[in-house]
Amino acid sequence: MLARLGLEPGDEEFYAEQLSGILGHIDRLQQLDTESIPPTAQVVEVANRLREDEPRPCLTQAEALANAPAAVDGSFRVPSIQEEA
Amino acid sequence: MNELTSLTAVQAAKLLREGSTSAVELASAHADRIARLDPSVRAFLRLTPELWKEQAADADRRIKRGEAGPLTGIPIAVKDVLCVKGVETTAGSQILRGFRPPYTGTAVSRLIGAGAVILGVTNCDEFAMGSSTENSSYFPTRNPWDLERVPGGSSGGSAAAVAAGEAMISLGTDTGGSIRQPAALCGVVGMKPTYGRVSRYGLIAFASSLDQIGPFARSVDDAAITLSLMSGHDPLDATSSDRPALDVLNNYAGGVKGMRLGVPREYYDVKGIEPGVKAAVDSAIKVLRDAGAEIVDVTLPHTDYGLAAYYIIAPAECSSNLARFDGVRYGMAEPDAPNITDAYMKTRRRGFGSEVRRRVMLGTYALSSGYYDAYYLKAQKVRTLIKRDFDDAFTKCDAIISATSPTVAFPLGSRTQDPLSMYLCDVLTLGGNLAGLPGISVPCGRSEGLPVGLQVLGPQWGETVVLRVARAYEEASGKRAEVAHVG
Repeated sequence: MLARLGLEPGDEEFYAEQLSGILGHIDRLQQLDTESIPPTAQVVEVANRLREDEPRPCLTQAEALANAPAAVDGSFRVPSIQEEA
Repeated sequence: MNELTSLTAVQAAKLLREGSTSAVELASAHADRIARLDPSVRAFLRLTPELWKEQAADADRRIKRGEAGPLTGIPIAVKDVLCVKGVETTAGSQILRGFRPPYTGTAVSRLIGAGAVILGVTNCDEFAMGSSTENSSYFPTRNPWDLERVPGGSSGGSAAAVAAGEAMISLGTDTGGSIRQPAALCGVVGMKPTYGRVSRYGLIAFASSLDQIGPFARSVDDAAITLSLMSGHDPLDATSSDRPALDVLNNYAGGVKGMRLGVPREYYDVKGIEPGVKAAVDSAIKVLRDAGAEIVDVTLPHTDYGLAAYYIIAPAECSSNLARFDGVRYGMAEPDAPNITDAYMKTRRRGFGSEVRRRVMLGTYALSSGYYDAYYLKAQKVRTLIKRDFDDAFTKCDAIISATSPTVAFPLGSRTQDPLSMYLCDVLTLGGNLAGLPGISVPCGRSEGLPVGLQVLGPQWGETVVLRVARAYEEASGKRAEVAHVG
């Protein structure tokens, strides 16, 4: 549900079995004592990079919309976001 | 004129400069070979004849003006995850069917700027998730050396194209081994650079802290030239390094005399390694020792935990990267769905294949509250331990050598039912991604008649060392990548 994957009936059992096998392998991580080990999110020395906030050329509106499945009045068309009451 | 499709880029560039062939003739020879062989190999998803005709004619004009670089007029192929403006790019997925990028990614645009000629787009596992190219939503690619076997993956189309003589050079991406493993299985050279060496701008992201773009080629020199032309800082990728572009064209030909090459015992005796693969690696070690290298034992004690850490980190990153496929801005869509949740569900149900769904589920689970510490944070800490293993090993050696893949190319369909057995294909390569290291696979002989790859890993930013070992091995062993006789 969280990932909005739209599973079909029968999918759950199929994936549950495979994912249990994979998670069974992954559980070996719990054998390691990592209490004092810092996490690594990225491995090279690059830190936060900032740049001047200056306007630059970018895609035109037409280019940005060229791949849109549906566009209305120069905007992406989005299905209704709020549930009907 | 089939000889034209067996040349290395260095050889072809010489012929182009001498005027004994032209870029148009070279590209046409490759297009003819593709037309003849690709119905069996199926390396290409799409061909780009208008593009290559124009680029080849441009290259010929440039050569005539005396302005040719080493890749001017060289026919290349590009993996279906690298955006080329106006050329359908789908990451091997149905969800991006019909997507024509409005811009070209940096790595490809640098090669185009250098005069390379793009023949077409190569097949890959969907969103680069896989080790056999069987997860492509279009069709599986075949190994040119044995059409009943896989080419490896995820960049299997790019590896197969170069092995079959359908392209002189190709580009792939490597997140856990997706360049090196198919290079090994197809008997060609494949290189993954240090994380940050090549800009990822214009690469459809899988796992952003691991992904790197790199070349396939039929010689170490060709791979080195291609990598050096792609590398260097790009303001459009904040993780690209501002170190100067890789200048390998001078000093990597120095040989291995006096170098210390580490053989990690955990890689040497990795579970499931085939005896024929081990024998080929043993011969390679002997060749390097005879060439003057000192072979030293090293240890990477957390190797057994690498796969587990990788299969948390990569799916976690992919689950956030793939959230952008919402059927609104591009790709497959359900515009008539009654509400947005329904639209997401329907789009992804139709658009994502089973491996992608599996990894999104795994990643979403590992990142969810209540499991974050036990899985994602734990995996990131283990990533630190794995990086430290490599740091320690590189105090004792200049480069690490091992098999690239524990096995040779396996039969189509033999691992698709068991995801874990497929994941184990990358057990010797994914450590290099977790630690951000440069690595290469070069052909080192055969087992059961099929190619075996030797992997060389170096410390971060140590591409020159890696290339030097690979080139010395290629020269001393005489085992150069060959073009397969298909069919």
